[in-house]
Amino acid sequence: MGKNVLLVDDSSTMRKIVGRSLRQAGIEFDNIYEAADGLEALAILESKKVDIVLSDINMPNMDGITFLKEKAARPAIKDIPVLMISTETGDDIIGEAKSLGAVGAIKKPFTPDKVNEVLGPLL
Amino acid sequence: MREQIIEAVKEIFSTMIMMEVSAGGEVPADSSRTDSISGIIGLAGTHKGVLAIHLPHRVAMSITGSFLGMEVDEINSDVEDAVGELANMIGGNVKSILSANGRDISLSMPTTISGKQYDFQPTKDADSLLIPLRCEAGGLLIELQLEK
Repeated sequence: MGKNVLLVDDSSTMRKIVGRSLRQAGIEFDNIYEAADGLEALAILESKKVDIVLSDINMPNMDGITFLKEKAARPAIKDIPVLMISTETGDDIIGEAKSLGAVGAIKKPFTPDKVNEVLGPLL
Repeated sequence: MREQIIEAVKEIFSTMIMMEVSAGGEVPADSSRTDSISGIIGLAGTHKGVLAIHLPHRVAMSITGSFLGMEVDEINSDVEDAVGELANMIGGNVKSILSANGRDISLSMPTTISGKQYDFQPTKDADSLLIPLRCEAGGLLIELQLEK
């Protein structure tokens, strides 16, 4: 059975680019789900089988940090790994994301090679 | 600051849009923009201001087409989204330039303005940095306004 990924970003352009980068990096998923903010992401995680989440931080409605906190409080989905993909790469904010369970971070802009380097070992 | 922003925009264009960018072009004589779209992101915290990227419509359509790998022949939601994301990425770099730990400055959500003619002016007394750039699609302008 293949793996499924959830892309969380308020920019539809960025979700398309991340999806394209995954394909260019040779990383295949059975299903690529998309969410525009943390609220949508939580709903998808609770209704679909998702193996890994790639999430932005700066989003409307529910940002990436709040999403991590909400996810950590829900036993059924708390162990699904989340990789942050964001322009927000300061030590403090990435440190906070990691303390809330994020498994790593990729800075925008990024190349498919960078996605493969960081995401590959997590799959 | 100027050179750091140019390098950041070069990296964004080369890795995400597959276009090379170089410094060059004329600084506009006024704040009026014609047949253009502007992506804008606000900075709050130790440095307050706005970062904007101004693109003529034809340049914005070409960049969006390259971003998404498809033909774009009108200013639509894809163009607005792509220009907003460009502002977001440039704003993230400016934040890193101005604040080492990233905690001292917050970024707003990106917004866009598009139209046949509009003015983009600071609301308060601000230091303004204007950086004209060129890519294969045409000229573009980066504008950073920081409150004094």
